Amino acid sequence: MVARESSARARPGAGKVRGHAPPSDRRNMATPSWGRAASRSRAWQLLGAARRGSSHGTADSPVTGVSPPEPEKRPSSLTGALDAGPQQVPSKNVESFASMLRHSPLVQMGPAKDKIVLGQIFHVVEDDLYIDFGGKFHCVCNRPEVDGEKYQKGSRVRLRLVDLELTSRFLGAKTDTTLLEADAVLLGLLESREIRQKE
Amino acid sequence: FAPPGRLNDALLFTPQPNLCAAQTGGRAQTSFFVLLSVINDKLITEPLRHPDFFNVKELFSLKELFDARVHLGHKKGCRHRFMEPYIFGCRLDQDIINLDQTMKHLQLALNFTAHVAYRKGIILFINRNRQFGHLVEVTAKDCGEYAHTRYWQGGLLTNAHVQYGSGIRLPDLLIFISTLNNVFEPHVAIRDAAKMNIPTVGVVDTNCNPSIITYPIPGNDDSPLAVELYCKLFKTTITRAKNKRKQMEVLYGLQNKADSS
Repeated sequence: MVARESSARARPGAGKVRGHAPPSDRRNMATPSWGRAASRSRAWQLLGAARRGSSHGTADSPVTGVSPPEPEKRPSSLTGALDAGPQQVPSKNVESFASMLRHSPLVQMGPAKDKIVLGQIFHVVEDDLYIDFGGKFHCVCNRPEVDGEKYQKGSRVRLRLVDLELTSRFLGAKTDTTLLEADAVLLGLLESREIRQKE
Repeated sequence: FAPPGRLNDALLFTPQPNLCAAQTGGRAQTSFFVLLSVINDKLITEPLRHPDFFNVKELFSLKELFDARVHLGHKKGCRHRFMEPYIFGCRLDQDIINLDQTMKHLQLALNFTAHVAYRKGIILFINRNRQFGHLVEVTAKDCGEYAHTRYWQGGLLTNAHVQYGSGIRLPDLLIFISTLNNVFEPHVAIRDAAKMNIPTVGVVDTNCNPSIITYPIPGNDDSPLAVELYCKLFKTTITRAKNKRKQMEVLYGLQNKADSS
């Protein structure tokens, strides 16, 4: 089961397997607060798509053991949700596409504008960082002056999304012209791991 | 499932006249050729009796497709009109492809690819997306087939006999990992393959035209995860079909030895 999860993840070193989307997230959706103060604890992790509650019960026990190095400060309701998962649907492990879509982080996130997400750098060209955050396209950001050398291939970063895909309809065109890129502002490296180590 | 009008196996195994003689019921001059043609028929017709002879259904699942972001499409403004049947819906201006339909189409396409590979057809991978050009070439090399990820010269298929000499064998299947070329227009090879009666399998995104493609697979062709998944699936199918072919040859070879002795 652990092997299945690692193959499904497919991005080397991507975020640890996430369990059931914690109920706290759904509460946040009801009262959206887009303030930057709250953003730190609610960075969306679209990489390494979450396992939903209906997935295999035996898979969840290794997940709970692995979940401690979670980048965001998810409350302990995560483990509670994981335990509740297998009990809900023990035998049926085929989730419909509509259900998977509805519970996926990308859809739960809502409009992409000003959402904080976690990304991973997968390519570096001198000063340009190509960052994949789990959407259809990657985004390209400039290397910041602060801690510039720390941004290498495989580093995890925090981004504030602007748009999932840069498209625009030009005069006289039948369809939009797309840049095949997303747009995001680089906020900084993922620091919570260091904080966690101190604790 | 058969590629139209191509009896590649017959040509490889026996010279044409002897095969015809066996089919018309007349006794071939040597029992050797009769045996070969009997094996030939069984080899070729046996897989056609099963709807999923190579069991391609088990190679992928809805979850795998979902995790590889196959369902994500372009924005609403980029949508091609003919992709509307394959689109599940539009969420905040981004099209979502219906993965239930993708599953069906993917199964059909992989099944067809497997049959072509089983009958020793030549498969050509085409991709003009520079981000995945190397990956597609490596995939083709690994399964022993061919890839074309560079600029497509106009007469490659339609003028092959003039450009490359007569007697050239054209590919029996074209697989498009992305059906668009660098300027977001349909790849010329789609139209040329249709002209030359070569079947095509292609991954069509929401801004592509699925009309002339024989086995379209509605899905994302821009994310690296999705493209890696497709390459892996095609590679596994083709290798599986080729191995199956070797197995069947051995099986029927042994059977015929047992029958004759």
